[in-house]
Amino acid sequence: MTEIELLNKIKTAKINRALGVFILIFGLMVLVAIAFTETFVQQMTDLVAGMVLILIGGGMFWKSQMNLVQLSTKNKSL
Amino acid sequence: MLAGIDYFIVIAYIVGMLLLGLYFKKFVNTSEDYFLGGKSLPFWAIGMSIVVSDIGALDFVGVSGQAYRYGVSVGNFDWVGSVPAMLLAAFIFIPYFWRGGMYTIPEYLGRRYNKSVRTIASATWILFFALDLGVLFWASAVLLNVLMGWPIWISILSTAGVVGLYTYFGGITAVIMTDVVQMIIMFVGGFALVFLGLHAVGGWENMVEKISTMGPEYQSHFDIIQPSDTTSPFPWTGILFGLTFVMANAYMIGNQSIVQRCLTAKNEWHAKASMIFGSALKMFIPILVLFPGLMAVVVHPDLADGDQALPMMIKSILPPGLVGLMFAAFFAGLMSSVDSLLNSTATLFTKDIYEPFIKKGASDKHYLKVGQITTLILLIFGVATSPISSDFPGIYVAIQTFMSYFQGPLFAILLLGIFWKRTTQWGGLSALIIGIAFAVFLNVFKEHFFHIEDPFLYISWWSFLVGFVINIVVSLCTKKHSEKELQGLVFNAKIVTENTSI
Repeated sequence: MTEIELLNKIKTAKINRALGVFILIFGLMVLVAIAFTETFVQQMTDLVAGMVLILIGGGMFWKSQMNLVQLSTKNKSL
Repeated sequence: MLAGIDYFIVIAYIVGMLLLGLYFKKFVNTSEDYFLGGKSLPFWAIGMSIVVSDIGALDFVGVSGQAYRYGVSVGNFDWVGSVPAMLLAAFIFIPYFWRGGMYTIPEYLGRRYNKSVRTIASATWILFFALDLGVLFWASAVLLNVLMGWPIWISILSTAGVVGLYTYFGGITAVIMTDVVQMIIMFVGGFALVFLGLHAVGGWENMVEKISTMGPEYQSHFDIIQPSDTTSPFPWTGILFGLTFVMANAYMIGNQSIVQRCLTAKNEWHAKASMIFGSALKMFIPILVLFPGLMAVVVHPDLADGDQALPMMIKSILPPGLVGLMFAAFFAGLMSSVDSLLNSTATLFTKDIYEPFIKKGASDKHYLKVGQITTLILLIFGVATSPISSDFPGIYVAIQTFMSYFQGPLFAILLLGIFWKRTTQWGGLSALIIGIAFAVFLNVFKEHFFHIEDPFLYISWWSFLVGFVINIVVSLCTKKHSEKELQGLVFNAKIVTENTSI
């Protein structure tokens, strides 16, 4: 892997990490909103929607964080 | 007006978008970073961004409204009106543009035909995009005014401040990545709305039965193909010839704000895959935007304006939290449309007007600065012209309609330019000018030629056909290009990567 390719991968990982955090926070907000709902169906919808956002955001954050650790090690060794 | 948790979510979304957009500033060092994201973006992000740019907030509301009025036939715009064109773009056109290292569609037209074609095409896009900006700023302000109770001018300035800052600093990377967030939230909220909507109307079959018995005007609500003599704007002839053959292709292949996204891909595979992934996502859009419109027929049967269908469904069906999230996605849809226009117009001006006519051969930093300053000027222009929308409420439809008239002739010269070596610079130029003039003529005298209320699909088809024929006739009468001049610009030839002279 060339240095440019490595830097591009680091850039992508940083972008994904930022997106992951953003989506994760919104997932948490939707979960908090369950407290303001009235019916069971609404609570379940908020729960599922919030969990989906948390899974997507959390997944993006975790994957990109792992990538960043690996890529930073490679970058130092170059 | 929103309240409590939903209000908080909308505010958090706006602030979060600003911070996220500003974060991308650190990835912009050259003009290529600013206009093409350093050619390093992955297909999934570009695919999502294409879908979000295509279906902005105004379209979201508009399509639901049309589903409320005319039924499922409006879904044609996202199925036959998008998917085949996106696949054609992915496999035929995008690889040529990407390998050619192009920034704009007019740049290709300039290389294939001549400088005049490039300038006319570019100037027309710039004009339309700049006019659209004011309309979108006004629409954003009205949305914020209704939801949050903010005064109109505060709403306009805050929208311009947020979008302007992240587009000015982050360039197209910020534009695309903020679209990714918007798409995920729009899909999650949209599916939640469909699920709860179906629950409210007692299931799909119950909804079909109820709508079918509501009166004669609802008889064809579930016919995806409408007869050619229908009074709705979607007869099958218009859908097939105007939409599938012309407008869809012109939009997916010839629209700068769409194609520019594919040019940001890290390699040719990602450029192609972005369109294919986008087309897969597009197939879900009718479910998200069309179904709520249909459900609103049952839940809110007496709406005076069909465009109220979606906002009313969101308000009455979604639970707290998701209401805020969906309205935030609406607002983000408007922001996405504005940031796309800002960045694409800056690219068109810098690459097609400034670089060839005002200052050739300047440093890369200079062009980066020009792009940023153009973004700033456009922002000010958009804010200054936004009140026009309040004086002329039909201006958005008028701009969109005229834009569609330009797309027929543009697609005719793009198609012949790629597939027919014999087409010449004079053929392309005359086809563009006469095609646009013919579209304007048909629009002015539309009552004499068409019996439907808005014949834009037919006008696109006929202006495309006239442009196509004119291009062939004039090309056959004028001197053809040499093989060397066509190198890398026509089908089956390899595209040259350096900037050849026009």
